Amino acid sequence: MKEIKYEAALAELQTIVNKMENDELDIDQMSEQLKRAQELIKLCKDKLTKTDEEIKKILAEK
Amino acid sequence: MTEKRLTLYELNSLVREVIECEMPNEYWVEAELSECRESRGHCYMELIQKDEQSATPIAKASAKCWASKWMLIRPYFERTTGQRLHAGMKVLLKVYAQFHEAYGFSWIVTDIDPTYTLGDMARKRQEIIRQLKEEGVFDLQKSLGLPVFCQRIAVISSETAAGYGDFCNQLADNPYGFQFKTQLFPAIMQGEATEQSIINALNRINETYDDFDCVVIIRGGGATSDMSGFDTLALAENVANFPLPIITGIGHDRDESILDMVSHTRVKTPTAAAALLIDHLKAVLDMLNDSQDRLTHLAQQKLITLHASLITISEAIPRLFSIVRTRQEARIDGLYQRILSRIQQRAVTSQGDIRNLEQRMLAALEHKRTSERHRLEIIEEKVKALDPVLLLKRGYSITLFKGKTVRDPLALRKGDEIETRIEKGTIKSIIQ
Repeated sequence: MKEIKYEAALAELQTIVNKMENDELDIDQMSEQLKRAQELIKLCKDKLTKTDEEIKKILAEK
Repeated sequence: MTEKRLTLYELNSLVREVIECEMPNEYWVEAELSECRESRGHCYMELIQKDEQSATPIAKASAKCWASKWMLIRPYFERTTGQRLHAGMKVLLKVYAQFHEAYGFSWIVTDIDPTYTLGDMARKRQEIIRQLKEEGVFDLQKSLGLPVFCQRIAVISSETAAGYGDFCNQLADNPYGFQFKTQLFPAIMQGEATEQSIINALNRINETYDDFDCVVIIRGGGATSDMSGFDTLALAENVANFPLPIITGIGHDRDESILDMVSHTRVKTPTAAAALLIDHLKAVLDMLNDSQDRLTHLAQQKLITLHASLITISEAIPRLFSIVRTRQEARIDGLYQRILSRIQQRAVTSQGDIRNLEQRMLAALEHKRTSERHRLEIIEEKVKALDPVLLLKRGYSITLFKGKTVRDPLALRKGDEIETRIEKGTIKSIIQ
């Protein structure tokens, strides 16, 4: 997957939720979008974890 | 003319006798020198008294000091006053009258009181100082600062003076390796020409004063000599108004000349002048070094403080970030929950739809089955009506040959065994 920014990922996730809640998706699309949502969630959480680790690492380097 | 005639010599002798008889004493006389010269060890002076208002001479006389006296008087006078006898000087002379037949009238000087001249000099000096102050220039030099990097020096000195050499050597051999650039503006440093000569040198420096940081006026040591050239109004004015700071090192300790008073700084000797310049630059160097040290120290202090606050801040970062992280995760989880609940809801709806379809399908099937069964019953009725047993009961029979119904007698041959079914059983017969 192409490098995607946290905020962009979060925005996409929000869009998916909105579409679902507005009934804009059929069932097939829904499962596709669910898959996409899970990818985005993983990406966001990974980024948060990575950032946390990087901060600790950078501070430890001083 | 019957009167006795005298020769000039006789007449002059008469005058001499009268003077010698009538004025045998010595007198202290105040006078101004209008001329003063030495010849073969004797000192010849012209005395004058001027009218105080008009300054026109009201009395004049010659005076002589014989070598035998002069050799005693002169050193004492010069040591005390710091000056040679010169024209314009006020003197208090001890004299006796002498009239010589060949040389005429003359005052013979037997003593000179230098304190009188000193007093007069002091008065003159006070007058010059008063004038300088009135002109507002007396302290002008003091308001000039020595440039921080005072290294380009214009030197006014006699070219051959030992003091000039000392000055240059002292500067060149300074222990800190400072570089000084000196340029000599030669001047006569004693005697009548001193004043104008120094003024001329100052004028030459003034033409390119941007090339210099200061002026040094120095005079080599040696015999106590004539200081009168340094006590004049014109020179003082020139020095006081000069655009560059002027340092004097004209070597005398009796008291300050006016030149010293109006100059930026006075020192006693040329070497002291050099030392002053070196010390000044050394102070600048020290100041620079000190500033550097303080700057370094302050920068280090600042770094330490900043470092400490950086650590405080950086220690807060993980905590702050964990708040951010928790909030973000909650947000993501919230979104995910919404997705899940929506999907679940959708699944429920979809299942409902499916069940509904299923129901409809089952109902349709049931309907179909019922109608088919009815149709079958009708057919069954019809079939029943056609059952052969019923025909047999009514008396009809069925002939079978080899299990098949015989509908045409021609299909049978002689000797074939046929079966005939009737209501109550079967008859076997042979065709004949």
